[in-house]
Amino acid sequence: MDERAGLPPAGRLVLLAVVAAMVITVLFFQLARMQLVEPEPLAPRLDGRVLRTEDVDAPRGLILDRDGNTLVRNVPELALVLIPGDVPRIPAVETTVLRAIESELGIPYAALEVLLARGREAPDAFAPLTILSGIEELEAIRLRAALADVPGVAVQMRTVRVYGGGELYGRILGHVGPLPREEVEAYLEAGYALDARVGLSGVELEHEEALRGRLGRRLVAATPAGRVLEVLAEQPPTAGVDLVLTIDPGLQRATIDALAAAVDLALPEPQPGEPADRPAPQAVGAAVVLDVRTGDLLALASFPTVNAGIFSGGGIDAGAFAALLEDERRPLVDRSFAEVNAPGSIFKPIVGVAALEEGVATPETRIVSTGSITVPDEYDPEVSYTFRDWTVHGSLDFTAGLARSSDVYYYYLAGGYEEEGGTVFEGLGAHGVASYARAFGLGSPTGVDLPGEAAGIVPDPTWKSETVGEPWFLGDTYTFGIGQGYLAVTPLQMAVAAAALANGGDVLVPRVVGATRSDEGVRALPPTVASQIPAGPGAMAVVADALRIAADPGGTAVDGEPEGMTIAGKTGTAEFGIARADGSYDTHAWYLGWAPYEEPEIAIVVYLEHGIGSRNAAPVAREILEAYAVSDRRVQASSEEASSGEAPW
Amino acid sequence: MVAWLGWRLDLWLAGAMAALLSLGVLTAAAGNDSGARQAVMATAALVAFLVMARLDYRQLLAPPLPGAGYLLALGALGAVLALGVTEFGSQRWLALGGVTVQPSEFVKVALVAALAAFAAARPSTPGTLLITLALTVLPFTLVALQPDAGTALVLLIVWLVVVITWGAAWRALAGVGVTTFAVAPVAFALAVPDYQRERIATFVDPDRDPLGSGFTLSQVELALASGGITGRGALPAAESALAFVPARTSDFVFALVGEQAGLLGAAVVLALLATIAYRGLVAAARAPDRLGRVLAAGLTAVIFGQAAVHIAVNLQLVPATGIPLPFVSQGGSSLIAMALAAGLIASVAAREPPKSREQWTAERWRR
Repeated sequence: MDERAGLPPAGRLVLLAVVAAMVITVLFFQLARMQLVEPEPLAPRLDGRVLRTEDVDAPRGLILDRDGNTLVRNVPELALVLIPGDVPRIPAVETTVLRAIESELGIPYAALEVLLARGREAPDAFAPLTILSGIEELEAIRLRAALADVPGVAVQMRTVRVYGGGELYGRILGHVGPLPREEVEAYLEAGYALDARVGLSGVELEHEEALRGRLGRRLVAATPAGRVLEVLAEQPPTAGVDLVLTIDPGLQRATIDALAAAVDLALPEPQPGEPADRPAPQAVGAAVVLDVRTGDLLALASFPTVNAGIFSGGGIDAGAFAALLEDERRPLVDRSFAEVNAPGSIFKPIVGVAALEEGVATPETRIVSTGSITVPDEYDPEVSYTFRDWTVHGSLDFTAGLARSSDVYYYYLAGGYEEEGGTVFEGLGAHGVASYARAFGLGSPTGVDLPGEAAGIVPDPTWKSETVGEPWFLGDTYTFGIGQGYLAVTPLQMAVAAAALANGGDVLVPRVVGATRSDEGVRALPPTVASQIPAGPGAMAVVADALRIAADPGGTAVDGEPEGMTIAGKTGTAEFGIARADGSYDTHAWYLGWAPYEEPEIAIVVYLEHGIGSRNAAPVAREILEAYAVSDRRVQASSEEASSGEAPW
Repeated sequence: MVAWLGWRLDLWLAGAMAALLSLGVLTAAAGNDSGARQAVMATAALVAFLVMARLDYRQLLAPPLPGAGYLLALGALGAVLALGVTEFGSQRWLALGGVTVQPSEFVKVALVAALAAFAAARPSTPGTLLITLALTVLPFTLVALQPDAGTALVLLIVWLVVVITWGAAWRALAGVGVTTFAVAPVAFALAVPDYQRERIATFVDPDRDPLGSGFTLSQVELALASGGITGRGALPAAESALAFVPARTSDFVFALVGEQAGLLGAAVVLALLATIAYRGLVAAARAPDRLGRVLAAGLTAVIFGQAAVHIAVNLQLVPATGIPLPFVSQGGSSLIAMALAAGLIASVAAREPPKSREQWTAERWRR
């Protein structure tokens, strides 16, 4: 008995300790016994049933427009499929199978033969090939009965993607299809099944990881032949995330309409005496509208458009696709971000910022344009070259030089000028111009969330000697300074550069997906700033002011300004191709700007393959800006200051 | 035991508990099973432990607090049955605002507190023994109805340890034992739900239901076997042999530890639990009064008893029943309740009497 008053006997605690020790001992021996036996795989059971795991498909994420309307959905559908691996490789049987399909559906035998041959070469010969999709229920029953004895043919229920929005989002949404042959192994490594359908273009490809979701797994007991008898356990799949586009449907519509009207008007007249093999001018163009605060692409259009509907269902609509491939305007190439061209004078603001920041020029720097400058050949003084301005401007200060787009002014800023051995004006030099061009995002992809983006070219002496195999001349610097020569950009890159001028120097990563929607609700994605322009607010303000003046009445860019709004604007007309019969060149028409001037919201870039910037591209910009001025988005942007942060639906 | 500014803490107890909590976080994180949430809960549990250890159990268990806690726990159990949340075929959770609470975890601590307070004030007689039995049978029944056989079993173990520590006569205990054996088969037939009977049958003869609950057992067996001596390391959930066992980070976490950390890791868990049990019994032995002794022993029974049942289930020594492994399994209620229990043990340990008998006698004579 313990000495402490009223305390129960401590001996019983010893007893409890002994019991606990015995329990621990028993548990340890059992543990060792269980951990040290050889693991057994899932063995076939005595009743002949086989246990196996199979994947459970996750529903693919939807794609919504910025108002929350579904653009891309999953639709169940009945389809008649051919399973090449199930067709015996016996000529007589093959013929019977294909003849049976031919007689039931009227599909030519030769086409089926090609399909079968191609299917057998595919990575998964058992992946079903669609012969006829969208079958009605009664027809499906009839076909099932009629083709019951034909090996390798089946009526299957499956889910297909259906694309809405028509031509508005043609190349943006993209499409899905079977695993591409060259990348099968990479996809299998990433956990895809051989018969999986994956994003192959557009948002479907770029956001595959989010849209895909996570496969579930299911443990089943099956007969040895594979028929599932019972589901034993299941990990449910995680559905893919729904994506919300940044594209404003109304603005995209207006952009496409404005482009469609402008590209035809801008086509050059045929000239007599031109060779017949001269490529015919094509009525194509593109336009980009970018939110300068977030990088959201409010409009991203390339004309001619592609109807997204042709990608709906089990595969691409073959007829429509062939028509697209044959169209001389090459509608499948998105001019807004996948094709590069010389920007012409809309490049001058970038050279202007560089010149002011590097001290090459001040706002007071005056240069006289007599309509051209002449420089002697670097090796042969007898030869000289003349670089033209588009008009005789007389004496210009910096603002006037940019607002009136004097080429001579920018020859000076880029290449400087020497006379009789003495330097009259010190320019930026090719490297100086190139480094600012790169700082504004040119020469490399913007990182937009769409596949197939072009990087463009920012030339410099090293690039020229490596690529062209010629030394860099002063003339190259001159043409570089006015946005011509080897410089090649996409409209999207120029829109990002314009946004950087407008927002104080943030080079944004543009995007077409701005938010995700899942069970947890809608989540806006944070904007990404790729880099900062290495220039102070002073230089940017001077350039911005010059572009405001350019868009004011009397300026070169005035036709881009809608009534009741002050914008910054710059036109560009870039020569390209081979000289025409009269010695002139074909020109691209460009317009770059942002609006409103005081509190910039959007940057805009218009590109037409043919035309004059002020005459053809500027009106397109004005129409788009007019549509923006009255759009819901504009109304919402001004009311957002009062109540911020709400999802648009 | 360290003392600092009048703050005495049993470092062995605290250390063993912290090690098990960390293991739980690692296990949850390894399988992508919300490790962050478990880390938050483990931190909260550690705080609860330290607060309890700092408080004086004699004030905490002064009337009417133990009685009130007991009634509150009973009320919560009743509420669970009336309007609780069902998961895995059993109704154990109570949704309070955004969180779900599992009252059956807290009822164990509340029962020990009530039994200790009752026993401390009274000698053990057949009459008072029956009252403690009645106090235990009430929550036992409510828990068994959920149904949660594991927790019910722990409540019985707790009662037994409490009355043994209290000093109940062996003869009286034998009487209760004999009665129980006589009543048990009838109670089994009447009260044990079909699913539990099926589990018991499956346990006795696994081929009886090869694909139902026997399937879970075979997965657990495979997990332990594949763990070997050193384990397979941290695995994504999908690669675990327990991939299809939904309760792998709660009811089968010991098997998961065995799979990931092998025999060595699982043996460390056993050693940590043995440390906690030993320190709990030492605290009981050195307790300054009967309240402290019964309380420390009873709470040790809560932690160790529950751990033993969990591990025995995982090792297929007893039929499958869902019960968390203290400090390791996922689930906030279990973590907090077990930390409260450990904290109270530490509170008893912090107030042990002067160690030398002479010192104590001198003190006594001075009075």
